[in-house]
Amino acid sequence: MFRIGRGFALASPALLLTLILGFAPLAVVVVWSFWAWDPATYWIRPDLSLAAYAQIGEVGRWWVIVTSLFKAALAALACLAVGYPAALAVHFVASRRMALVLIGAFTVPFFTSYLIRAFSWRLVLGRTGLINDWLMQAGIISEPLDWLLFSDFAVMIGLIASYLPFVIFPLLLALRRVEPSFLAAAQDMGAGFLRTLVTIIIPLTKPGIFAGFLFVFVMSAGSSTEVQMLGGAGASMISIMINDVMRVVNFPLAFAISTVVLVALIGAVLLGNARFGLTRLFEDF
Amino acid sequence: MHAGFERWQIRACIWALTLVALVIVYLPPVYLLGVSFNPALQPALPSLGNISLKWYQALLHERGLLRALNESLLIAAVVTLVSTVAAIAAALAYLELGRLRNAWFLLVILPMFVPGIIQGLALSVVFNRWQLAPFWGTVALGHLLWALPFAFTVVLTSMTSVRRSYLLAAADLGAGWWRRTCDIVLPLILPGVIGAIVFSFLLSFNEFARSSYLVGRQNTLPLDMFGKMNSGASPTIYALSGLILLVSALLVGVVLAMAAGRRG
Repeated sequence: MFRIGRGFALASPALLLTLILGFAPLAVVVVWSFWAWDPATYWIRPDLSLAAYAQIGEVGRWWVIVTSLFKAALAALACLAVGYPAALAVHFVASRRMALVLIGAFTVPFFTSYLIRAFSWRLVLGRTGLINDWLMQAGIISEPLDWLLFSDFAVMIGLIASYLPFVIFPLLLALRRVEPSFLAAAQDMGAGFLRTLVTIIIPLTKPGIFAGFLFVFVMSAGSSTEVQMLGGAGASMISIMINDVMRVVNFPLAFAISTVVLVALIGAVLLGNARFGLTRLFEDF
Repeated sequence: MHAGFERWQIRACIWALTLVALVIVYLPPVYLLGVSFNPALQPALPSLGNISLKWYQALLHERGLLRALNESLLIAAVVTLVSTVAAIAAALAYLELGRLRNAWFLLVILPMFVPGIIQGLALSVVFNRWQLAPFWGTVALGHLLWALPFAFTVVLTSMTSVRRSYLLAAADLGAGWWRRTCDIVLPLILPGVIGAIVFSFLLSFNEFARSSYLVGRQNTLPLDMFGKMNSGASPTIYALSGLILLVSALLVGVVLAMAAGRRG
C-alpha cells in the first residue's frame, strides 16, 4: 500500500525547493570561499586560495566567531534553566485546561515578529525604560543604569526571550517518556522530589534537553535581529561581522566566514541527530 | 495530580519559575502595546483617562509604510500558497517513504538552522550571477526556506491522527491512493493544513534577516520598520508594532483553539 516511488513523487516539490534554494547556493558559497578577489571585474575568479580564511585571522575575527558561539551556548543554557520548570508545570502540575493555555502562550512567540519583540525590550531596558523607572521609584538607584540597554546583557536577554519557546517543545515531547508509575515507584521507595528529578526525570528527558539546547544554540549563533536592536556600538556577532564585510564588498571573506559558521552549526545538528536521534522526538506516528 | 508533585511548596516553586518564563516572553510586547495607546511623545504607559488611538489613526497617512505593507502582504501570500502545498505533499511523502522517513524529515527542516543572513547572502549572490534582479519574488524565494520547515512540521504533527488501520481498511475496500488521501488523510490533517497556512503567512510577513540581501527597490514592512525604529521616529511605530503583535497572536490563538477543540 505504501510505495516508495509515489513517496519520491510527492517529495519532489519540497525536495527541489530545499535543494535548489537552500543547499545549492550554500554549496556555491563554500566553493567560492576558495576563489580569489579580482579587482578588475569587482568579482571573484576561480582559484584555490586560502587567503580569505587567513583574513579571518585578522582584526580579531576568530574571536568574534568564538565569542558568538560562547554567547549562543550561554543563551541556550539560560533558556533550559528557565524553560525546564515551565515544561514540568505544563506536563505534571497544570490542569488539562491550564496546560493547553500555557502551550498556546509558548506557541504564539514562534510566529510573532522577532524584530518587534526585540524592539520592545528597548522600552523596558532603556534609560527612561520600565526597569530604570521602577528601580528609581523604589529608591534603589539614583541614576538610571546605562548597561541595561545596548550591551551584551541586553543581547543575552533578547536572545533568551526570542528563543525560549524552542526549548519548551522538545522538553514537552521528551517528558512523555516519563511514566507516572516511575514517579510513584520512586516515591514509594522514599525518594524526595529533588532525588526523583535528578535520578529519573532529568535522565529520561536527556534527548529533549539536548534538542532544546541545540535549537537555541544554533538560532542564537546565527541571530542578527537581537544584536542589531539591542547590542552596543562595539557589539559583534557573526551576522553583524558578515554584514560589515559585505559593506566593503569583500566577497571571499564573507563566504569564508559563512563556511566556517555553516560547518559548525550544521555539524552540531547532524552530530546531535546521530547521538540523540532528534528526529525520533518528533515522530510518534 | 502526579505522584511526586503533591507538596504545595514544590508546585509553588514550579509555578513561580513558569511565571518568570512568561514574564520574559510577554512583558516587553505587552508593555509596548500599552505604550502605543499613549498620545504623548515620550514612551510610557498612558493613564487610564488618557487612552488614545491617535497613533493608530496616524498610521493611515504613512504612505511609505503602507507601500511596504502591500509588498509584504504580496510576498506572504505567495509564500503561503507554495509552502503549504509543498508541505502537504512532503508530509504525504513521509507516509510512503518507510525507512527513509528520518532522513526526509531532517532534510526538510535543515534550512531552519541556517542563519538568515548567510542564507540571504548565498541566495542573493547566486541570483546575481543568474542575472535575476532583486524584486518581491526573490524575497519570497528566501522566505520559502524559512516557512517550509515549520509548515511541514505542523502538517506532520497532525498526521498523528491518521491511523495506519484506517488506510489499510480503506485499501481493503478497494480505495486507491487518491481516494484514501482525499477522503481520509486530508480531512484528518485539516487542522495541520490550516496551521501551515497561518504560520507560513506570519513567518514570511514578519521575516527580517532573510530579506535584507534579497529585497529590491521596494522595502518589505519589517525592513521599513527597522529603519524607523532606529531613526527615533514618531510613535506611530509603536502603533504599527502593537497592531502586528495583536493580529499575529489572535491568528495563532484561533489556530490553536481549533486544534484543541478537535482533539478535546
